[in-house]
Amino acid sequence: MSEFSKALSVSASGLQAQSTRLRHLSENISNADTPGYRRKTVSFDAAMIGAHGVSEVKTGRVRLDRTELERIYDPSHPLSDQTGHYEGSNVNLLLELADAREAQRSYDANLKMFEQARAMSSSLMQLLRR
Amino acid sequence: MDVTALSAGQKYAASRPATEPTAATGGSLFGHVMNDFASTLAAGETTAKAAMVGDADPHALVQALAQTELAVETAVTVRNKVVEAYQEILRMPV
Repeated sequence: MSEFSKALSVSASGLQAQSTRLRHLSENISNADTPGYRRKTVSFDAAMIGAHGVSEVKTGRVRLDRTELERIYDPSHPLSDQTGHYEGSNVNLLLELADAREAQRSYDANLKMFEQARAMSSSLMQLLRR
Repeated sequence: MDVTALSAGQKYAASRPATEPTAATGGSLFGHVMNDFASTLAAGETTAKAAMVGDADPHALVQALAQTELAVETAVTVRNKVVEAYQEILRMPV
């Protein structure tokens, strides 16, 4: 396995991790109005692929955000208690959007590295062609 | 008695083993490289098939195809170089 193909596989793992992150973000956003929903946060781990000695990235365990759920006043809601409040989700749309933008930037960066590894390997082969 | 033809024949017979391919050196190494190449191609095909039916991640597909492209490019370039060298030898005035 050449260095270029190792770089390709590392970049591909980064792309995959960022798309997993985006999936959890969209789960959070789509459940922003679900009562009692806690937002999910994703962690990243470096995974050593033993035989080739490259450290790829993979998403770790999904954790639930333990901050307080938002209390919404709506006496007509079926889940409301004696005071007329019910617990909404603790999703902050602004946070999710910022996180999504970060995921996109990281994805772009990984894509760029993928392209660069490809371009470098093909220009190396170009050297033999003249 | 004309011995030149006989001695030329002997010399030819003596020098033949030197040009024979040996099993252990270049051949097996090249075969190993070719096996590697074939397995890269097969992995690309398997991933492409899996992606068609929705089993594989598109990132894995893109990675496998880029890997295959890299391997094919290398193999074609090296083959062209080998063929070029062989033709150069054939053009040698004997």
